[in-house]
Amino acid sequence: MRRYEMMIILDPSLEERTVQPSLDQFLKVVTAAGGTVDKVDVWGRRRLAYEIDKKSEGIYTVVDMTAEPDAVKELDRQLNLNEAVLRTKILRPDLH
Amino acid sequence: MAKPPVRKPKKKVCLFCQDKVTRVDYKDTGLLRKFISDRGKIRARRVSGNCTQHQRDVATAIKNAREMALLPYTSTAR
Repeated sequence: MRRYEMMIILDPSLEERTVQPSLDQFLKVVTAAGGTVDKVDVWGRRRLAYEIDKKSEGIYTVVDMTAEPDAVKELDRQLNLNEAVLRTKILRPDLH
Repeated sequence: MAKPPVRKPKKKVCLFCQDKVTRVDYKDTGLLRKFISDRGKIRARRVSGNCTQHQRDVATAIKNAREMALLPYTSTAR
């Protein structure tokens, strides 16, 4: 098990209220594989430094979790398939 | 007679070593902005005054932040 920190940029056209439930839906992949989600931090709407997919804003969220590498890989794969997700980044804070 | 250029090199101390920071977070854009120029370029070590290791950490953090659109790759000041 390893600690991960994942940042997700979501489509700004989403309702901010619906962000949390839909994230929980995604994070089931981690909990189902025996991992734990330690913290979900929704930053909210924030201006992007440059346009991504012709969008100048994004909803930023940061998720701290402890999980197996495979579960995190699968989560990242599913997020990237989803059209509401503009970008993701996974880091291991222990290494940085 | 031209005066010989008087240069007094002021020894800068690395900000991070002073504060004993072990980890530079890419999410802290306020801090990282101090280390980029107004064109968005990373400041050189001789300008920023960081030590070798921390300059490297800062550069990595800035690059991570750029990927997540927290900092610009270039900013169009002119």
